[in-house]
Amino acid sequence: MAARFLSKSPSGRSLLGALGTSLLGVGSVARETTSKHAYSDILFQQQRTFVQMGTNLKVVDNSGAKRVMCIQALKSKKGAKLGEVIIGSVKEAQPRGKVKKGDVVYGVVVRAAMQRGRCDGSHVRFDDNAVVLVNKQGEPIGTRVFGPVPHELRKKKHVKILALAEHIA
Amino acid sequence: MRLEKCWFCSSTIYPGHGIQFVRNDAKIFRFCRSKCHKNFKMKRNPRKVKWTKAYRRLHGKDMTQDSTFEFERKRNRPQRYDRINTEKVLQAIPKISKVKATREKAHITRRLSVGKINRKMEDRRELEQSISLVKAPSVLKEDATLTLPKQKVTVSYAQTENTPMEE
Repeated sequence: MAARFLSKSPSGRSLLGALGTSLLGVGSVARETTSKHAYSDILFQQQRTFVQMGTNLKVVDNSGAKRVMCIQALKSKKGAKLGEVIIGSVKEAQPRGKVKKGDVVYGVVVRAAMQRGRCDGSHVRFDDNAVVLVNKQGEPIGTRVFGPVPHELRKKKHVKILALAEHIA
Repeated sequence: MRLEKCWFCSSTIYPGHGIQFVRNDAKIFRFCRSKCHKNFKMKRNPRKVKWTKAYRRLHGKDMTQDSTFEFERKRNRPQRYDRINTEKVLQAIPKISKVKATREKAHITRRLSVGKINRKMEDRRELEQSISLVKAPSVLKEDATLTLPKQKVTVSYAQTENTPMEE
């Protein structure tokens, strides 16, 4: 539904950007609420979109944070995809960690529910949205990374995260 | 480049097709098309879905054990490139697939041949019993051409019957 609207309007990209994010937010929320009442097949046809402002992401390193809410996706108006950097606000943190609740941090998206195309033509998608906290230079704050990570990170020069990862998808 | 198998329907996934789903326990599921992907999301068991290879193999519809399957086993160890070996393999692949196809076809015809015989026997029985619905029995007796042709039945125990009782 949201995708169709975007293709229809011929206006400039800036207008689309502002409209798009709000529409996408509304569209996905609407689908969530209807899915509880609708038939089971609509429930499993969730439209996966970018990691954008307001997206809650799981933190998969041992930096101390548990949940981070995206406040800005760097590099794209639409939102962040797998392997891209975001700025987030820590919403939930462990009591003794390197980051506290309310901190503004940079993070690298290591798992995204939206599929990302690879150069050989295939697509990959993960089960959830997850992020690894990183400093401005791109080095991870934590010392361990949990769960699988994609090898898109190698192209984006996040080699340290790949080194810490337990499984590379 | 590697030709993968679809997790749901077991068909080959060529490059540029399908979606890979990575679960959080690092298990990778590959699907050849959105049909298989959607069925997976619906949590359907491929062993219960009739059109998948998993179901067919489980229920004996398709061949399960054959020497031609040995050629397609997954080998994780990379082999050093050997030009002669590669050429031989490339020549062998169509031969193997042809043999495999003929054997699979034979398996299916063998499986279906039982039904064919049963159907013929049932038709014959129906003809013998219900011919009176079509023609009256008195008419059948008068006209010789309307009788059923004699059926040749091969009796395997003919030999033992003919031998006389020895006392």
